[in-house]
Amino acid sequence: MTRLWPNNLVGQLLLVVALIMLLAQGLNGFLLYRGMQTQNLIEASTAAVSRIAFGLEREASTRPLVERGPPRRRQRGHLKFTTETVISPDMNRLSELEVRAEQALTNMGFTFSEIEAVSVRQLPAAMEGYVVGANRGRWRNSSINRSMGSRRQPPQTRGFVILSIQRPNGQWVSIASAVRGRSPIFIRTLVFQTITIFLLLLIPLILFGRYISRPLKSLTVRAQSFQPGVNEALEERGPPDTRDLIRAFNDMSSRVSTMLDEKDVMLGAIGHDLRTPLAALRIRVENVEDDSERDRMIAGIEDMDQTLDDILSLARLGRSQEQSEPTDIRSLIETVVDEYKDMGHDISYQRGARQPAHIRATLIRRALRNLIGNAAKYGTSVDIIVDKSDDRLMIHVDDDGPGIAPDKIEAMFEPFVRAEESRNRATGGSGLGLTLARAIARDHGGDVMLENREGGGLRASLILPIR
Amino acid sequence: MSTKTHILLVDDEASLREPLAAYLIKQGFKVQQAGDASAARSLLNAYDFDIILLDIMMPGEDGLSFCRFVTETTDIPVIFISAKTEETERIIGLELGADDYITKPFSPRELVARIKVVLRRSGNGPGKIGNGTGSIYQFSGWTLKTDQRSLIDAEGVNVSLSTGEYQMLLALLTRAGQVLNRDQLLDITQGREAHAFDRAVDNQISRLRRKIEQDPKNPEIIKTVWGGGYLLAGQVKTL
Repeated sequence: MTRLWPNNLVGQLLLVVALIMLLAQGLNGFLLYRGMQTQNLIEASTAAVSRIAFGLEREASTRPLVERGPPRRRQRGHLKFTTETVISPDMNRLSELEVRAEQALTNMGFTFSEIEAVSVRQLPAAMEGYVVGANRGRWRNSSINRSMGSRRQPPQTRGFVILSIQRPNGQWVSIASAVRGRSPIFIRTLVFQTITIFLLLLIPLILFGRYISRPLKSLTVRAQSFQPGVNEALEERGPPDTRDLIRAFNDMSSRVSTMLDEKDVMLGAIGHDLRTPLAALRIRVENVEDDSERDRMIAGIEDMDQTLDDILSLARLGRSQEQSEPTDIRSLIETVVDEYKDMGHDISYQRGARQPAHIRATLIRRALRNLIGNAAKYGTSVDIIVDKSDDRLMIHVDDDGPGIAPDKIEAMFEPFVRAEESRNRATGGSGLGLTLARAIARDHGGDVMLENREGGGLRASLILPIR
Repeated sequence: MSTKTHILLVDDEASLREPLAAYLIKQGFKVQQAGDASAARSLLNAYDFDIILLDIMMPGEDGLSFCRFVTETTDIPVIFISAKTEETERIIGLELGADDYITKPFSPRELVARIKVVLRRSGNGPGKIGNGTGSIYQFSGWTLKTDQRSLIDAEGVNVSLSTGEYQMLLALLTRAGQVLNRDQLLDITQGREAHAFDRAVDNQISRLRRKIEQDPKNPEIIKTVWGGGYLLAGQVKTL
């Protein structure tokens, strides 16, 4: 069922309209059929009434039938004369027809004491030969119907109406009249009508559906690719409520952009106001005579600066001004590895063929620095392995450090969570490194994963999509 | 005329400006201080400066605007000092003709080294990083854009360089075909002299070769001249 249900507005609209039309036409067909049936019954009973009138008239105008012995059937106008009624109580009485027949016969000046009209499916044996109305043989032999070709079916008989009246002398006069069945083209007409109306509706429906769904589609696309401050307002089109929606979306996106702009200004101010005293301190530190004391102070200042930098980068991520450009990942890794080698870390990296990817190089370098820096901090030797599949690149940074308890791994990505239980800063770092690395990777459509290696140590993997 | 290098230090933060000036004086420079752009302009008229250290974020006329004024009217090199680290700012600064950029907080020793590099470069003619528009060098299928400090291969892919590698490559490019020994390269790129067994230059060169040479063992672009130093071979087109 869900497979048949279209997943777009136009499709659903068409399907619903088609279903409603089918229902309406079915109902319509049913009513038409009922009307036709009533019509056919009336028609049949009218034929019966006129045949009775004709027969009785003829009887009255010629000679009395009884006196001449049993006359031929034809002479008696196919009427059946009986002393008892031919109608049995289990037959379906049609009071409406009885009333009509009574009126008609009374108007024509006949008198009778009783009138009965019934409809039956099967002609009772007693009435065999006393039938007026449709006759298959006659239909088929008519020259008009022959010329119409064989496709036209003769009208089907659908039961009979039996009209029976009791004359004042107690004699019953009865006649059966065939009721026409439904016309064979009835269903065909109905189907043709349904399809025609649906096809006529189809074009305006599709046009209207698109009129509604097009602006919604573009709104969806815009909302999905929303980049604050980058998009101009979306054109307001479609029906009024859709226009309202688009206007509301435009207002909302400009509010979001404004808020983010304000945030950027605030972050810039924080960065500036904290860095200036830090810079002044950094210069004054040069006056400290004690070398080891000075180095420790410098390390402290650099640590604070790094933390500040991480916080600001994290807060600004996604609003980067840097364009993503095709960049060779291999040389990027190599540059970072060289930095750490220069600091005296043992890092092994097998460089391979060039591997271009669309990235923001400054950010990815930062993520790599964080991962390699962590590995170098907790391990003594670091191994970097690049794995490539069809659509993604995996940069594994393996260390031989203590690893992380499996239940703590996801928590490592939370801001300000560090591998050590106590938040001591002996190993340096802000506790934002992994958070930032993952945020950067996700910003690029990738991710950062941590896992403990078999045989000890941690593997941090930076996954990037490549096109 | 004094032989001391004369520095104009422009920063609105007295808490930073004063200790920095003291440090620079201690390092043997002559320093004038300005708290804003207009004070700097009047000092610029009064003295003959060798280099300007300029803060970007200042009340009133900002550093970028003052830098534009300086590069349009004089040849004095400018080093930006700023708390802003956004990468784009670096590009803007260099496009406006600043010669280098250092972010707060910085090591004063690093600043002195950079001052020396910039002075060496501006004294030696070519090699100024920002000449207003940024230079583009093309060599052996590679393109080096100085305004973004980016090295791009024949397929348009960016290849990452460390600052040291970039400066080394730029030094070789601007003196293509010229043999440069280790001392000269150190002097140009880091503004310092080599000490004994200094492998810094060889290290940078071999890293650079790994990134740009087809076969780093058999270099075609950066050639070693035995007993002399290094030389960039092949045609260099400057755009």
